[in-house]
Amino acid sequence: MYKWYAIKRILKGVAMYALLMFTFSALFNTVSETTLKGQIEEQVRQESQRLKNLKSEQLRAFQIDRREQLYKLYKLDRPWSERVVSRAVNALTFKFGRSTIIKTQKGEREVIKIILEALPRSMLLFTTTIAFEIFFGIWLGLKKAQKPGGSLDKSTSFITMVVYGLPSWWLGMMLIMIFVYWVKLFPSGGLHSVPTPQGILKVLDLFWHMVLPILTLFLIGFWSLGFVVRNIVLGVLQEDYIMSARARGVPENKVLFGHTMRTAAPPLITMALLSLLASISGSIIFEGIFSWPGLGNLYWIAIQQNDIPVLLADLAITTGIYQAGLVFLDLTYGFLDPRIKIGGKA
Amino acid sequence: MKLDDAAFRLKEFWDEFRKERNGLVGLGILAAAILAVFLEPLIIPYPEASSRWRDITYWQDNSKSAPPAWTNLFTARKSAVARTLQDARIQDRGPGEKVYTYTYDYDYNRAPYDLLVRGEGSGNIPLTVTVRRPDGVSVEIVRYVLQDLAGQTFRLSFSNEGRSNALEFLRKTERPENAAQIATMSYGVAEILFSKAEPDFVKGPKPLTGRYEIEVTAGFTDPRASIEHMEIVVVGRVSGILGTDSMKRDIFSGVVAGMKWALMIGLLTSIVSVLVGVFYGITAAYFGGRVDSVMMLIFDYFISLPVLPILIVFSAVYKPSIWTIIAALILFFWVGPVKTVRSMALQIKEETYIEAAKALGAGHGRIIFRHMAPLLIPYSFASMALAVPGAIVYESSVSLLGLGDATIVSWGQILHDALGSGAVLSGLWWWVVPPGLLIAVMGMTFAFLGFAMDKILHPKLKTR
Repeated sequence: MYKWYAIKRILKGVAMYALLMFTFSALFNTVSETTLKGQIEEQVRQESQRLKNLKSEQLRAFQIDRREQLYKLYKLDRPWSERVVSRAVNALTFKFGRSTIIKTQKGEREVIKIILEALPRSMLLFTTTIAFEIFFGIWLGLKKAQKPGGSLDKSTSFITMVVYGLPSWWLGMMLIMIFVYWVKLFPSGGLHSVPTPQGILKVLDLFWHMVLPILTLFLIGFWSLGFVVRNIVLGVLQEDYIMSARARGVPENKVLFGHTMRTAAPPLITMALLSLLASISGSIIFEGIFSWPGLGNLYWIAIQQNDIPVLLADLAITTGIYQAGLVFLDLTYGFLDPRIKIGGKA
Repeated sequence: MKLDDAAFRLKEFWDEFRKERNGLVGLGILAAAILAVFLEPLIIPYPEASSRWRDITYWQDNSKSAPPAWTNLFTARKSAVARTLQDARIQDRGPGEKVYTYTYDYDYNRAPYDLLVRGEGSGNIPLTVTVRRPDGVSVEIVRYVLQDLAGQTFRLSFSNEGRSNALEFLRKTERPENAAQIATMSYGVAEILFSKAEPDFVKGPKPLTGRYEIEVTAGFTDPRASIEHMEIVVVGRVSGILGTDSMKRDIFSGVVAGMKWALMIGLLTSIVSVLVGVFYGITAAYFGGRVDSVMMLIFDYFISLPVLPILIVFSAVYKPSIWTIIAALILFFWVGPVKTVRSMALQIKEETYIEAAKALGAGHGRIIFRHMAPLLIPYSFASMALAVPGAIVYESSVSLLGLGDATIVSWGQILHDALGSGAVLSGLWWWVVPPGLLIAVMGMTFAFLGFAMDKILHPKLKTR
């Protein structure tokens, strides 16, 4: 049954995510505790500044006391294993604490709010790109598979190989240089112009800022997606039942979209989503180039400011999104592949 | 597998491979890249670029942000090219005095930024530098006494030491009403020396082309005094094959020095990780059952790691060396071939000859290494080639964020410096294009190789 398959897959995804959080917690234990201790010292110092009427000895006693309290609160007095577990649990429940430097636009220092501010912006950029890429990628792949070895197939396959190792962020840099420095056509980055226009113009302004990032991702991903689609479709086209359909005189378009697509859909969707998932993980760098204030750009800022809590929270959320993507992938695959849907062994 | 057998299969493979034009192009570029790595000290103008990339003293006599020299071909106003004048005519003049004469053919419109006298000296040496211009005028530009040197390098800049002399020279010809402007004008010493000495210089100098002779007169009355390796450095407006960056570093030397690291990162990561992955897949398939389940669980764990975010955070926290980065990349990359290899190994496992080997009492290791691996390893060559670009791009991405190993030069690091100095938005294309283009070309090379091998090894994808 698909329901059980889905539940099993989701549970597996959640378990994997929890396991990853434990790994991160153990791997980055020292650095996050150093940061936490720094924050505690800061807090103790601020509190003792307020207590002006105390003698220096009393003040020192207060500081030691307060420090111990806070250490207890954040479980820093516990053994290593317990600290790692508690931090992993915090990450799983989205309690990321406070940032050291970075603030939201409203000036809040809660890490989760900083992340939630950046998340929709990343989503906006990538869902748009994904939509463009999947649509044109599948179209190109089918065209290529229709006449394998033809001029369209050959030239686009060649481009696929040429852009295979092309870093998207470098292409972004080049496009900025061309369209911002030489031909002053698009803004160099950011979300909105300063000052931000109002009403419908604000939306248009946003689109205007999205053109270059989307163009960059599209120019890189489009070809390889087309190539993957071509290979899958071509594999199916060599099956006997396609030949028999053609022999029966079924129109070529129907063979392509009816007979072939039905079989090719599951691996096609898998490959398309997988390549997009990879491109999203790679776009961390890419957002920084365009100063697109999403999750990727947050990595850049957190590294520059050495803001460890934000960095680790960003990692946790990115990993979560990646996990969710993998689960979603398998669910779609299962949904499209009748062998899994009905419950037979694949 | 016997050696003859392997040689035969290799020849068979080569016969197929020869027909793939793209594959041959890839092989050619790869050979050229490997050659460049081995000939690196011979082809780069700054042989210590690799070890002293971040040492500003090594680069201090270069021009800053200078475009490549060949851009002169495309501009109407030619810029002076950066170069070093080394061959001096040495004459003895009187007791303890030597004259070093350097000739410089100046045929440009835009004068160099500056000129330097550089050398290694000992003792106290009075130096005089005179420039004999094509119009017959001699200008004494620098007069300086080197004091108490013991073999150190000395550097005398014309614009630092000779500005007052140059302005004095200019005043002789300039109109009196322009005299006030001379002190405040932006033209430097080199512009005065390489322009026509005529009225209205301050309104726009005109270049004076022809043969210049730069005479350095050195006095050797001090018994310890000696000068070695003296040369004149022309700090040009354009420089070298790929220009210089804002830290005065020669970009061509940098990208060539980065080549060996890119190849090392790419090849080491892909070869080790693919081999690990292949044996992992074979082992899982061969033992099957519970071993397979556990191994696939571990595989599932690794495949759900988002590579770049983890690599970035890891690098930000631990500041790893290049070897640690490569090790981390292997940790992420080995999962690549596992799935395919496992499914292929599951089929091979059922072959009768495996059964025969088992019946003859062959151990697990023997079956895996001698009977299964030789069949599957050739298939992994394509994955190896296709994994190389990924490794290079990941390292570059980490370096682009400024988290790379600071003891080496990599293309990503050059791009990090370019991005940090705003090279993109100020149009310093010679700084941004070459490293990225090389990353892309490396990716293309291995894609050519990988896809060509893939086509031979998986004939199903062949075009009809």
